[in-house]
Amino acid sequence: MHKALVACRAGVGSSLMLKIKVNEVINANHLPITVEHSSLDAVPGFDGDLLITLTDVAEELRAKKVKQTVIGIANIVDKKEILSKLTDFLNDANETQL
Amino acid sequence: MELLSDSIKKEYIQLRVSAKNREEAVRKAAEPLLVDGCITNQYIQKIIEIMKETGPYIVITKAVALPHAPSKYGANKLGIGITTLEQPVVFGNEVNDPVSYLFCLSAPDSDSHLESTAELVGLLDNERFYKILDNAKDPEEILQFIKEEEQKGENEHA
Repeated sequence: MHKALVACRAGVGSSLMLKIKVNEVINANHLPITVEHSSLDAVPGFDGDLLITLTDVAEELRAKKVKQTVIGIANIVDKKEILSKLTDFLNDANETQL
Repeated sequence: MELLSDSIKKEYIQLRVSAKNREEAVRKAAEPLLVDGCITNQYIQKIIEIMKETGPYIVITKAVALPHAPSKYGANKLGIGITTLEQPVVFGNEVNDPVSYLFCLSAPDSDSHLESTAELVGLLDNERFYKILDNAKDPEEILQFIKEEEQKGENEHA
């Protein structure tokens, strides 16, 4: 099971919406990922292996070289985008294990 | 836990507002929440400051911005405003520009807005909601639509 953190700058608005949509996708497709959400302040202390944010925040996190895989979502309600990016993450994670 | 229709007052809904740029759009979208004491001037300032520093983080889906900042900068009371723009405004978000709809959010803590935010994200995926936003002549029509959707939701759960 993978652990993901959905983070946004404020931690109250877009991250919550994104978490709701990500959970819908995870539940509908039975993906092995659990999700929590917070502001960016929580990123340094997060011990999971995936960060999910909006696109602009994702670039910032990658620039900081965080240890987790970072997924940036451009359109919060686009379930296809969310599913394809989560699937890519899971495929990459499986390859690493093999 | 408050429903979306409890977080939105008729006075928080503004239709076909004109704005020259993203800063003016955010200020105008926040105005009713400021007047009603949901947020402070500092809160609006913070939204604009983060937007200038880090780009259009509030543009979350096609044509939609969700102006909000961390609670500690002056989110005193739960409130969600709805503003539609007469002319779309470019915010600088490659994928989702230009913006026609702004939902200004004031969330004073991490729990009270969970239900209303969940409802709102559902509406953002609902084409009929955008039609109502485009065609409503009176804010009451939008509130009415939201209440009807809530009613449906309840029936589905029942």
